[in-house]
Amino acid sequence: MPSAVRPKTFISGAGLVWRWQRILWWIFIVNLVLAHFAIRGLVDRVSPALAHSSASERLVNGYDLTAVMELAVQPDSPLETPGPVVFHYSVVFAVFMIFSTGGTLATYVFDTKPSTTAFFEACGHHFWRFVRLLGYMALAFIPMGILIAICSAIHHSIDDKSNSPYPAAYFSGASSLLILLLLMVLRLWFDMAQVIAVADDETRMHRALRRAASLLKHNFGSLFWLYLRISLLAWIFCGLGLYLWMYQLSPWSITTAFLLTQLMLIFWIATRLWQRASEALWYRQYQAVMVPEPAYPRSPAPAPVPYSTAMN
Amino acid sequence: MLPSLSTVLLAATLLLFAGGPRTVSEPPSAAPNAQAPEAASSILNSPFSTRVVAYAIDAKLNTTSHSIDATETLVYKNLTGQPQQAFPFHLYMNAFQPQSTLMTEVRMSGARGVGADSGWNEKNHGSITVTKLEVEGAGDLTDKMQFIQPDDHNTNDRTVFQVTLPKPVAPGASVEFHMTFHDQLPEVLYRTGYKRDFYMIGQWFPKVGVWWKNAWNCHQFHADSEFFADFGTFDVNLTVPQTEILGAGGDLISSANNSDGTKSAKFHSEDVHDFSWTASPDYTIVEDTWTGSAGPVKLHVLMSPGHMKSAPRYAQALKGTLAWYDKNIGPYPYDRVTVVDPPHGAFNAGGMEYPTLITAGTTWYMPTGVLAPEDVVNHEFGHQYWYGMVATNEFEDAWLDEGINSYVEAKSMAALYGENASIINFPFATASEAQLLRIEYISMPDTDPITRFSWNFISDNAYGGVTYGKTGTVLLTLEKVVGEDTMLAALHEYFLRYRFKHPTGEDFLKTIEDVSHQDLKWYFDQAVYGTNILDYDIWEAHSDRLKWWEKEISRKKTTDEIYRTYVIVHRKGDFIFPVDVVVKFEDGTTAAEHWDGRDRWVRYTYDRKTKVASAQIDPGNKVRLDRNFFNNSYIVQEDNRATHKLENMWVFASEWISQFLAWVS
Ligand SMILES: [Zn+2]
Repeated sequence: MPSAVRPKTFISGAGLVWRWQRILWWIFIVNLVLAHFAIRGLVDRVSPALAHSSASERLVNGYDLTAVMELAVQPDSPLETPGPVVFHYSVVFAVFMIFSTGGTLATYVFDTKPSTTAFFEACGHHFWRFVRLLGYMALAFIPMGILIAICSAIHHSIDDKSNSPYPAAYFSGASSLLILLLLMVLRLWFDMAQVIAVADDETRMHRALRRAASLLKHNFGSLFWLYLRISLLAWIFCGLGLYLWMYQLSPWSITTAFLLTQLMLIFWIATRLWQRASEALWYRQYQAVMVPEPAYPRSPAPAPVPYSTAMN
Repeated sequence: MLPSLSTVLLAATLLLFAGGPRTVSEPPSAAPNAQAPEAASSILNSPFSTRVVAYAIDAKLNTTSHSIDATETLVYKNLTGQPQQAFPFHLYMNAFQPQSTLMTEVRMSGARGVGADSGWNEKNHGSITVTKLEVEGAGDLTDKMQFIQPDDHNTNDRTVFQVTLPKPVAPGASVEFHMTFHDQLPEVLYRTGYKRDFYMIGQWFPKVGVWWKNAWNCHQFHADSEFFADFGTFDVNLTVPQTEILGAGGDLISSANNSDGTKSAKFHSEDVHDFSWTASPDYTIVEDTWTGSAGPVKLHVLMSPGHMKSAPRYAQALKGTLAWYDKNIGPYPYDRVTVVDPPHGAFNAGGMEYPTLITAGTTWYMPTGVLAPEDVVNHEFGHQYWYGMVATNEFEDAWLDEGINSYVEAKSMAALYGENASIINFPFATASEAQLLRIEYISMPDTDPITRFSWNFISDNAYGGVTYGKTGTVLLTLEKVVGEDTMLAALHEYFLRYRFKHPTGEDFLKTIEDVSHQDLKWYFDQAVYGTNILDYDIWEAHSDRLKWWEKEISRKKTTDEIYRTYVIVHRKGDFIFPVDVVVKFEDGTTAAEHWDGRDRWVRYTYDRKTKVASAQIDPGNKVRLDRNFFNNSYIVQEDNRATHKLENMWVFASEWISQFLAWVS
């Protein structure tokens, strides 16, 4: 692609996230609220056991793992595994994210202040497309699953045969990194397909995927580096946050811990949106340089336009 | 008697010329230096034990077929006080077959990390075949060997055989058995076998049963049982490829290369009841010395590849534990301890005790905050006392080795690594050994009494929870009754009375009563022989205006108001145990109560110019058998900090699960 497209996308993407930061806050709030509801039952059960007991000091002045185990092994344990409930709420969040992605991308692609109506129209307009895209994603996970199984089998074989544990560990590290990178490429591919679907109002998802694959093939370096460096920032920040939480915060800093963990999450969401915005920006610049007129029929997309009822 | 200095010098000289192609040396002779026998004998008279058996074994390891061919001579001294004609022998290695009692029990409820639903892997097949059995003076009795199944009549189990001699052996006389046997080793399973070029060889030779309680005691090998044998001497000659580095539960007497590329190493051990050994060309040997009240002890740590970071941790834990035992329990009389670090993938060979040789366990990535390497060394070394020297019957009284050892493990790990973080020690999370024992216990509190034979528990989990967790917790709770110092004094006395003997559970309990000068039947009946659950809770703690029918006094006169406080302590479980109760009031005053716990509940009433702030049963949580510490107190003022802390973690985890799902969709 022309070099004119490359610069500034990284920084400008961050600018887009900052400019339309309400999207970030809404995603964060929905995530937090759903997580809160997911564990509400658990908290309600455990609270009576802890609120009036001096034994709960084992959890306040530190984190005594055996205190949690003790609660878990009681016959009428308040720590019943909330796994299914948490999963259900996570699915709700994932659906919410599929839904909101249409509006989010429309905002980033067209970079105009959307009205609430326009935003949700864009969400609805693209929702079923993205659900279909999810079907393709599931298909794409099949070879990934096979690869993971193969790597796991090779790992076991090396581990079984080698006298030193390191070859298997190195293989495991390398294969995990490879799988992670492939997953990121997969994510990037589908991200670009979503951008194409929104920017060009592409209705056929297989076509969006084909075009995204072609884009990725011809511009892999610039696109993947764009995606990867934002991911690296996210990992570094979250790693630092975890370190502070686990090693630096005093055990009784409960409010600070809450703020820190939520700050990590906000940053994580922000970087994910940053990737989305950068991808949209990249495509916008790419279109401007490479494809002034789309060579295929397009229906009018519900591009957000300024309204007096803008989101607030 | 332990080898002399000249033996050490001879062995050292031989070693100089016996090196294989590797730069790492053999473990040097573990024989004591000149001071050791004298130092030891000043505390213990050698021989330490009544030597019933004398084994001489000549074994050759085949590293291609993973098998051993050996001859064994056993001289058995009949100290049973009566003529003996039929002798039972263990053939433990035959347990590694799908229809054996051990594997049947594993399939039923799992054991040692192997799940109940695990399939059979032919690699795990193991066997021991006695191809010839002769008895001095009686000729070839191979045909007289007969498999017996004293425990479950499973005729597919071939872990015990009996041979009947033509003539009885008179009391005080000796009988000499000569056997030729072949071991097919399993890929490591239940403590023994091979993994790649690593060998851990335990329970590998025909071992005679023990005449105990006026009968032969020779149980089949079970999923949840360990071992029992008589004291004696072992002279073992091991022939292995020259590349192998050997470790064994004996002093290395000599080692010489053979012309066929093998080498033969002679080991001697005495006043022990078993002999195990290990071989691998990949070991790195770490050596150290520790000197205790019985003289210097050589420490050999045989480290597997990739695990060297754990070597100092093993050594430090071993020295700390030796010192703790020396100070609190009694002297360690042997001149050596070998720690075997199994390689990755041989996890099942780890965490096992044999006389003067223990197997540990670690990983290449073991974080320093997880004290698993320290704990396993501490535990397995503890067995040198509770199994090695105080040689209880591990089949029938597993609590006397695993349980007492778990109690001492909790005490010594706390002393060495901190009271509340003796097993997990991170800034963000901690756990203590004592609490983990309690968790084990309260997970399976009431299915089986401690005294159950090891293979008769309802499940493998119950065996572990009760034998290790409950016994340890019962003894920790007993400190509340007799005092911590008295408990340690009782253990010290028990060790002195019964080292190199086969005591029973009654012997142990009586020693505690003797030392504490207390009749503890009430406790032992419930805690040791019973299955009742101990659980006390604060049923109620609240204050009411004494003159409740009068109008409430105005705020400025509040100091004149008298409140009646009610505190009800409830015995939720059937285990009766006297408890202390402390009631605190808002003005900082307290009331201390002692309740015998016999009734189902007790109500305490106080009329004071202050309201109740809290009521607490067993302050300090000394009654560790109490199933639930959380209901032992009631604080009137609600404190939600712990809830918020957990809530924060759960919210965070839930948010990330959502984020992950969103990322992949
Ligand atoms: Zn043990």
